[in-house]
Amino acid sequence: MPAELPTVDSAERLAYVEGLAASEPASGPETPGPAPRRSRIDWRGPLMAAPYLLHLAVFFGYPLAFAVVLVFHRWDLVTPMEWVGLGNLGRLFADDLFARAMLNTGLFLVIHIPLQIVVALFFAELLNKKLPGRTFFRAIYFLPVVVSGVVVTILFAQLFAFDSGYVNRVLVALGGGRVPWLVSPAWAMPAIALVATWKNVGLYVLLFLAGLQNIPASMYEAAEVEGAGRWQTWRLVTLPMLNPHLVTVVVLSTIGGFSLFIEPYVLTGGGPLNSTLSGLLYIYNQAFTFNHMGYAATLGLAFATLILVVVLIQRRVVEAEAT
Amino acid sequence: MRRTALLLLVAASGALAACDDGDPEAGAEAGGPVVLTYWTSQNPQERAWADVLVAEWNAEHPDIQVETQPIPAGQSSEEVLLAAVVAGTTPDLCSNIWPGVLNDFIRAGGVVALDEMPGFDSLMAARTPPELADRFVSADGHTYQLPWKTNPILMIYNVDLFREAGATRPPRTYSEYLALADRITGDTDGDGQTDRWMSARDIRPIWWQRYFDVYPLYLAASGGQTLFDADGDLAIDEAALRDVYGFFQTLYRRGDFPLSTLQGNAFAQGRIASEFTGPWTAAWLLENEPDLRFDFAPVPVPDAFTGTPVTYGDYKNIAVFSSSRHPEAAWAFASYLVSPEADRLLIETTRQIPIRAGLLDDPELTDFFAATPFMRRFAEQAPHTRGVDAVPSLTEALDAIAQSYERAIYGVETPAEAVASARDRIGVIQAWAH
Repeated sequence: MPAELPTVDSAERLAYVEGLAASEPASGPETPGPAPRRSRIDWRGPLMAAPYLLHLAVFFGYPLAFAVVLVFHRWDLVTPMEWVGLGNLGRLFADDLFARAMLNTGLFLVIHIPLQIVVALFFAELLNKKLPGRTFFRAIYFLPVVVSGVVVTILFAQLFAFDSGYVNRVLVALGGGRVPWLVSPAWAMPAIALVATWKNVGLYVLLFLAGLQNIPASMYEAAEVEGAGRWQTWRLVTLPMLNPHLVTVVVLSTIGGFSLFIEPYVLTGGGPLNSTLSGLLYIYNQAFTFNHMGYAATLGLAFATLILVVVLIQRRVVEAEAT
Repeated sequence: MRRTALLLLVAASGALAACDDGDPEAGAEAGGPVVLTYWTSQNPQERAWADVLVAEWNAEHPDIQVETQPIPAGQSSEEVLLAAVVAGTTPDLCSNIWPGVLNDFIRAGGVVALDEMPGFDSLMAARTPPELADRFVSADGHTYQLPWKTNPILMIYNVDLFREAGATRPPRTYSEYLALADRITGDTDGDGQTDRWMSARDIRPIWWQRYFDVYPLYLAASGGQTLFDADGDLAIDEAALRDVYGFFQTLYRRGDFPLSTLQGNAFAQGRIASEFTGPWTAAWLLENEPDLRFDFAPVPVPDAFTGTPVTYGDYKNIAVFSSSRHPEAAWAFASYLVSPEADRLLIETTRQIPIRAGLLDDPELTDFFAATPFMRRFAEQAPHTRGVDAVPSLTEALDAIAQSYERAIYGVETPAEAVASARDRIGVIQAWAH
């Protein structure tokens, strides 16, 4: 009887449920039979988990172990590996371009994450209202997420072309000047952050929308009764209630931001003047353009460690803010 | 139940195996014909050329049957071939081997030394221009590639736009090129924005893009000096590279070349008046823009330069892979692919230049050259070409040049500083490699 539940504390409820479970027959009619052999291991669980564990071992465990081995070797794919000790690590600390790639990635995150959150929140709020064609718009905003990243990027290459791009044509027609979107070291990374935001924002809109719909209407009614204005309601009710979603969005967009690759690879090739050379693009070049597998593995592990540290710190900070 | 499942699995495996085409080599072992797998490029004209020759070969050689397949899709054919060499899934032979990547295949033991094949010396002596023959010999003294075709990089120009700008002949020197660029580049529709340029290039720091601007102009300015010497040491003619960087720096500073990549075929659209390119552009234009009047000329050289400019040859050669179980049969087919008839068909079908001496004197090609005079320019240029150096860090060295070139055209460094930084970076790369 649900109405009585609040009067029973949780320990009592647990004991009651366990008692019920103990008194129930295992299954089927009560027929005499051999007693269950308790000492025998039930392999069904491990067997069910085996495909995933195998997948994990083959596609995660083995590559990771191989990458660690590669850190101490030079290998160009075609000739046998050569032991270089800590040579790759020494090169890592002396590599100006890798440091530049890290700085670029940091700059991208600084632009991309706040932009992503603000834009996603704005559209989530909009799509949470009772507007005509709301379902259609919800689908439309999610569309770029499922479109191939390369296609989106090629589209933006045409939009952002300096001399003949559609965006600059509009700006000129409106009486403005042309913006060197992808050909200026100052503009290129912000332009790439815009592209990445446009491509991914739909996913975060969806997350925020789910969060908004879970906020009980009674909280807004209470805020109204208390005389809170729209801004106060949003700041003191909506935002705190969205905190778990905010943590998810920050963590996901940080990890996504660290894996920035397609946009600079297609749009700028890492230029102009290395201003859009991302960490992942640099690692890719080392591995698959120059065939420095050992050094690329060193960079990859360093990069993965950095992501792990950043995400752990970020989670602590954001969660602390939330509580 | 378990037994039934096992039986079903065995039956399914058997059915799948029956669906498989089977090992193409199996026929030979069972007394059937030898079956060779031949990878061609994905270019439709080259595939058409290969289809004709393979059909003829198969009809004439029932004991050696050839199956063609375009190189599987990938970033580049070099990447796909390298992956195939590593994985041991190479075909018997391939006719799209870029010499820059061959060194890796040799080190991996992935290709057959063709100079040990019967008739190699006589074939090379009869076909390859003597100026080029030595360039295909590897450091160990063996030859692993059969020289096949070259696409010399020249300057294509729009005849009408050049005439409108007052040019009576294509510019030969940097000064002439800049003077003409000044007359061509500008705003043609009066909206205040430049909409026509002298030329355009992809300036992104992508190493292979420099084979189509910096490298041919550098070879021309240096009289054919490649980047490395025979011992693999850096041997850049720095004065020539400074001239090239300075030339491009001026063009970009004045706006004669746009900074961003133009969409679509800007040359066909008349938005650029010239381009550094190979004969494949002509093949495309003839098919898609038959009314456009164009011609080719050598790439511009520094004002003080005299003589015939050398350019980048963009060679593609034929290699037989070590994975082949019938290398002699593969070699016999490779030799057939460079026969006089096959070479004629190549130039006529694909408008690419076979690496064959005396091409212009071939009476059977007289009509072809008369009908397509621009192809004569490529045939004339072919002996004056260079390929790439067979050094392990070639790609990374080109990347260093691409980076320094970008700094020069953005004006961050003077041409002299950019050349010095490229030299220093290549030094570091070579130190890492050892």
